[in-house]
Amino acid sequence: MNVIVCVKQIPDPALPGALDPATNTLKRDGKLILDESDSYGVEMALQLVDAAGGGEVSLVSMAPNGEVSGMRTALAMGAARGVLVSDPALQGSDALTTAKVLAAAVRRLGGADLVIAATESSDGYTGTVPEQMAELLGLPSVTFAKKVAVEGTSVKVQRQTEEGYDEVTCTLPALLSVTAGVVEPRYPSFKGIMAAKSKPIDEVKAADLGISPVGWAGAGQQIASVTQAEARAAGEIIEDDGEGFTKIVAYLENLKVI
Amino acid sequence: MDFRETDEIGLLREAVAGIAGKYGHSYYVQQSRAKEPTTALWDELSAGGFMGVNLPEAFGGGGGGMTELAVVCEEVAAVGCPMLLMLVSPAICGSIIAKFGTTEQQQRWLPGLSAGRKMVFAITEPDAGSNSHSISTTATRHGGGYRINGQKYYISGVDEADAVLVVTRTGIDERTGRGQMSLFVVDTDAPGLTKETIDMQILEPEKQFTVYFDNVEVGPDRLLGVEGEGLRPLFAGLNPERILTAAIVNGIARYALDKAADYARERNVWGVPIGAHQGLAHPLAKAKVDVELARLMTARACWEYDNDLDAAESSNMAKLAATDASLAALDQAIQIHGGNGMTTDYGLATLWGMTRLLRIAPVSREMILNFVSQHSLGLPRSY
Ligand SMILES: Cc1cc2nc3c(=O)[nH]c(=O)nc-3n(C[C@H](O)[C@H](O)[C@H](O)COP(=O)(O)OP(=O)(O)OC[C@H]3O[C@@H](n4cnc5c(N)ncnc54)[C@H](O)[C@@H]3O)c2cc1C
Ligand SMILES: Cc1cc2nc3c(=O)[nH]c(=O)nc-3n(C[C@H](O)[C@H](O)[C@H](O)COP(=O)(O)OP(=O)(O)OC[C@H]3O[C@@H](n4cnc5c(N)ncnc54)[C@H](O)[C@@H]3O)c2cc1C
Repeated sequence: MNVIVCVKQIPDPALPGALDPATNTLKRDGKLILDESDSYGVEMALQLVDAAGGGEVSLVSMAPNGEVSGMRTALAMGAARGVLVSDPALQGSDALTTAKVLAAAVRRLGGADLVIAATESSDGYTGTVPEQMAELLGLPSVTFAKKVAVEGTSVKVQRQTEEGYDEVTCTLPALLSVTAGVVEPRYPSFKGIMAAKSKPIDEVKAADLGISPVGWAGAGQQIASVTQAEARAAGEIIEDDGEGFTKIVAYLENLKVI
Repeated sequence: MDFRETDEIGLLREAVAGIAGKYGHSYYVQQSRAKEPTTALWDELSAGGFMGVNLPEAFGGGGGGMTELAVVCEEVAAVGCPMLLMLVSPAICGSIIAKFGTTEQQQRWLPGLSAGRKMVFAITEPDAGSNSHSISTTATRHGGGYRINGQKYYISGVDEADAVLVVTRTGIDERTGRGQMSLFVVDTDAPGLTKETIDMQILEPEKQFTVYFDNVEVGPDRLLGVEGEGLRPLFAGLNPERILTAAIVNGIARYALDKAADYARERNVWGVPIGAHQGLAHPLAKAKVDVELARLMTARACWEYDNDLDAAESSNMAKLAATDASLAALDQAIQIHGGNGMTTDYGLATLWGMTRLLRIAPVSREMILNFVSQHSLGLPRSY
């Protein structure tokens, strides 16, 4: 069984982010790391391949400046190879273009039994790329997967809903977007870390995938302007003199939540 | 000269910090209070292959060097879980056996050490601490092997270990009057080996022991290197021991600096964060400088060791610089926390004993200054 995982490489969320005032897009010139959201997909893929008793986990990623740090983390966890699409022409790409690029990267790897992405990325979080990829690849897609088991030629998914979960069965090949926390991502072992260095990453340009137009030219949307989010008003601090709870109850009643 | 760490080292730091971070300093305190080893953490790190990163791949190790082992050790300490036995087991014992063991001996012990089994190290005696030449534990030929008699003290972790690497005297050099040393690996359950715990004022998960050898018999296959020439294999363990000590305290220092800076940014006593008072900020900034300098010297010592260069000077300097810097950092971190600095909850005073210990053991500050005076400065030998 072969699985391809989409891994987005993003600026470290622990560091303060910044917008490029010229383009109104996120600055991504520093080191990028594996989006934590995608570490669940990688772990899930490794577990599924393990359970199937054979096969490989491959990665696809689109990122600026030939960045591979985040991919190396996934390779150290146990993925076998990857395709990186990195191209200055991709600057300004919107989510649909990203989906086109990643779908083409999946095809370049020869497809797989299963393609896994996260429900949404931690930096862009439009939550639209996986479904667009599925459409482009002609694959059935199951979203919000919280539990996944492959049985023969189909995959059984518990799909998170507001009330509980749906049980969805779907034929392979398919594309799943998984929720955070589905599995506990492993830490790479020392052997995994040392092996990651020599695992192949195929770096390609948009043109190698036959996709154009891309970047600003390909975007169906434009970022007209960016405004500061409204600052939240300072909270009210209630000193507890033993009767603090009455003030809290009054406050909640006033909000009509109790 | 390129000071950037490789991607592999970056991943190694992340992985170890991630695993150790799940446990954290509260786990260290809890185990220490219960006088229980930090087994769960040790085992999880071992399962990832991190305890044997420096040991040869042919024997189940990671095939890395002191650089990798020091990174593991620093990252574990940096979450507030300093691991004394890492400097003993994979660093001292592992290095000595990897360099001086016969293939059979390597086959026998290295796979276990690589997998996280423990071997401890016994050189110190009541009448031979800083002066190892005067040890009086003897090994005498008996049958086809040896009989060991004597007493060692302050031996860490004997209760957790399968075996102990013991430094003995097998003769006296007629010319110098100094002991001729021989190294043996002795099983901790060997008949005649008994131990007694020493009550210490250090909050640590390891126990310290006085170990008695009463006619402990070992076969000739337990001798490491050549009889009477034990100084050579012994020296193979000394630089790793110093480097790893530096790595542990560098980790503690990072832990303390992080906590101190966080607190100094938040705590407000006179209308501004206390970090705005230079009386607090400058000593912390100075500590940061000294810690980074110590880490640099530690990295250099690792690099020299891993490239088979003479790493004695850098290892000694790293050990001294790192322990001094770490103590200053921890001290200032406690000061910045005011009364909170002395609580268990804030997790700083809890590391004082361990950090302070490492200025004395495994080699004291004074013995390092003796080394630097003599070997780096060419001053007369002082003892
Ligand atoms: C007009 C416009 C211009 C933009 N210009 C830029 C720009 O110049 N630079 C820039 O950095 N961003 C730019 N963006 C944002 C960028 O388009 C999105 O971040 C990107 O398309 C992915 O969207 P997302 O992160 O919201 O994906 P989501 O749909 O939230 O992602 C879901 C999952 O899909 C997978 N995935 C998504 N993106 C990738 C990827 N790149 N590689 C691998 N897997 C992935 C991951 O598994 C991810 O968790 C622009 C957006 C717009 C609308
Ligand atoms: C918690 C703990 C764990 C330990 N673990 C181990 C272990 O696992 N295995 C092991 O073998 N040992 C272990 N030791 C022993 C440790 O290595 C020794 O305590 C250390 O080497 C110092 O020796 P000593 O205590 O005999 O001090 P001494 O040699 O008695 O020295 C006393 C003081 O005199 C100073 N001094 C001595 N000679 C000189 C000189 N020439 N010039 C200037 N000053 C001098 C010393 O620096 C020190 O300050 C441990 C000790 C402790 C406390």
